Amino acid sequence: MYVCFIGLPMIRAAQISLFHWNVMLPQRSVFVGLGNYSKAFADPIFWQALSNSGLYMLLTVPPQIVIGLGVAMLLKRRSPAQPVYRFLFYLPVVTSWVVVSLLFKYLFADQGVINWLLTLGRADAVPISWLSGRFTAMVAICALGIWKGVGWSMMIFLAALQGVPVVLEEAAEMDGANRWQKFLVVTLPAIWPAMAFVLIMLVIGGFNVFISVLLMTGGGPAQQTEVLLTYMYNVAFGNLDFGYGSAIAMLLTVLVFILAVIQMKAFRTEQGAQ
Amino acid sequence: MKRAFHLRTAALAAALLSAAACTSTTAASTASSSAADAAPVTLTMWGTYGNGGNTAQTQALAKLITKFQSANPNITVNYVDMPYDQLKQKLTTSAAGGGLPDVLRSDIGWVAQFGKLGAFAPLDTEMPGFGDVAKSTYPGTLAANKYNGHYYGMPLDTNTRVLVTSPDVLAKAGMTAPPATFDDFKAMAAKLPAGTQLFADSGLQGWNVLPWIWSGGGDITDADVTKATGYLNSDKSVAAVQMLVDLYKAKQIPNLITGNQGGTSTSDGLPGGKYATILDGPWMVDIWGQQYPSFKPVFSQVPAGPGGSVSVVGGESMVMSETSTHKDAALKFIQFTLSDDFQLGMADAGQMPVVATAGTKAATAHPYYSVFATQLQTAKARLPIPDAGQVDTILNTELTKAFNGSESVKDALTAAASQIDPLLKA
Repeated sequence: MYVCFIGLPMIRAAQISLFHWNVMLPQRSVFVGLGNYSKAFADPIFWQALSNSGLYMLLTVPPQIVIGLGVAMLLKRRSPAQPVYRFLFYLPVVTSWVVVSLLFKYLFADQGVINWLLTLGRADAVPISWLSGRFTAMVAICALGIWKGVGWSMMIFLAALQGVPVVLEEAAEMDGANRWQKFLVVTLPAIWPAMAFVLIMLVIGGFNVFISVLLMTGGGPAQQTEVLLTYMYNVAFGNLDFGYGSAIAMLLTVLVFILAVIQMKAFRTEQGAQ
Repeated sequence: MKRAFHLRTAALAAALLSAAACTSTTAASTASSSAADAAPVTLTMWGTYGNGGNTAQTQALAKLITKFQSANPNITVNYVDMPYDQLKQKLTTSAAGGGLPDVLRSDIGWVAQFGKLGAFAPLDTEMPGFGDVAKSTYPGTLAANKYNGHYYGMPLDTNTRVLVTSPDVLAKAGMTAPPATFDDFKAMAAKLPAGTQLFADSGLQGWNVLPWIWSGGGDITDADVTKATGYLNSDKSVAAVQMLVDLYKAKQIPNLITGNQGGTSTSDGLPGGKYATILDGPWMVDIWGQQYPSFKPVFSQVPAGPGGSVSVVGGESMVMSETSTHKDAALKFIQFTLSDDFQLGMADAGQMPVVATAGTKAATAHPYYSVFATQLQTAKARLPIPDAGQVDTILNTELTKAFNGSESVKDALTAAASQIDPLLKA
């Protein structure tokens, strides 16, 4: 299964990235060696897309962890309303990316609800064109990412919190620890593996942002909100340059792999130290 | 009883299947080829007639397909409507995966790219009597289908952009006619009511800016399409774009033009009185007819500058995929699309005919076509090169910098020209 659906396509992408690829008649493709890779390094839009992907990751991962953990802590105690809240927080995770991307596009439109709220009671206020500038558009895209992702990290943290030994918590309480101290000394170390898992998955997910950007800005205005995957998509399917598109995909794979290895190493050392 | 019947049918089917499996391949292929003429054929056609919620066009097409089918009882045409902005991606993946439809209504801007790729069949070699059929269409639109000495598409419909003005705004501005020249256009800005902007457009690609550049006396390349530097950044091209940039800075053009996806669209902003003028095509008549029935747009020529009033040619072509297994039926359908029946039937739904004789008849039936027909006399085509899509991306990206003020118009156009030059030689 792995070889068939993941291994082979990856090898094929690596192969395509070395060619000026002809999608209809692959036998007519021209071998260019690492040409597509050097093209990427010299391409300002590639760097722009990479920095936007990185920015998205930096702006969405910490809030998802902090809010996700916070909500999980609040919903940890058993109460009749708790399943309802769990369901409500998890709902965005299972809704379609396409639907919520379009919804957020309308929320952040010039005449959208966000601007309506911001200019409420101020007749002379000029609405913000959220999707017309690089950073304001990234704010809108990140807001969607956080809103949609919090439920997932909450679920993982909730599961992890069930495994925190009650004995330790009680012992800390008896030693006179306040809630914050108890959290730092007992809870956090106990859920550390879950934290590592959430962080690694969110970083990978952050670099793989695609649908929301494609639908909310299309990488525009003037390719300023292009992320690695939308750029890869435009290069491959817009310009039919599959060789270059595959090279971008390979570079993203290598980058995400390196980041994941570094994070795993860091967490392992920290766990060892504890 | 019913159950027994089912069992018997199943047994019979199984027997037939096993018999079929035992038949030699040669025997099977002989049988199928001799039956080909009479065998029913289903053609799959992709198109974007329903784009923007245009049900008038899909309904007109459905009637014409029924007409074709009753004249050709062994052919069924299965039309699949797709959103315009996804069709090209769908085409690419299908070309790679071998799932192309038999016939397709393609934007004229894509014909060269997919012809080069080998996805579309050269109609001049596949269609008997291609020359005679093609001769009946407008030469400008036919030329856009030629790549490397072959025609990969048959013109289907043509269009161009003209100036569309809101009659309410025109009255409020105290004007009796839409602006006819660049000077009238700029002067109109001062007469507009509060809350109305002079002009709106949804991008800075060739389709958007070339009418201004050409009307300003500039150009994108030389006549032989070998060089952009010296043409796209010529003084006249710069002056035309500068006019738009100045209006943008004076807040007379909204940032929809620089890619604000959250802005009010031109098709809503014009009837709503938010925009005084836009440039658009003949299909808008039906879209507004459905969405803003009381809105009566005023069509006029693109404002004339030093180069006259020159707009951009658009349109679609019928193409046949190289992999189609029903080429005879596909060619028959393509020929049908050039008949008066089809050309005039679609003209009723906002598609301008490409056959000259049908064009004259359509203009009599629909007076607003005459504005487009006049504009088409001077309209020019975008670059007929496989990398036309990249040219649009370059123009959009570089010109956005000029509009946002991070670069001068001259520098932006020079940068665009230097990036377009290598694509022309490829």
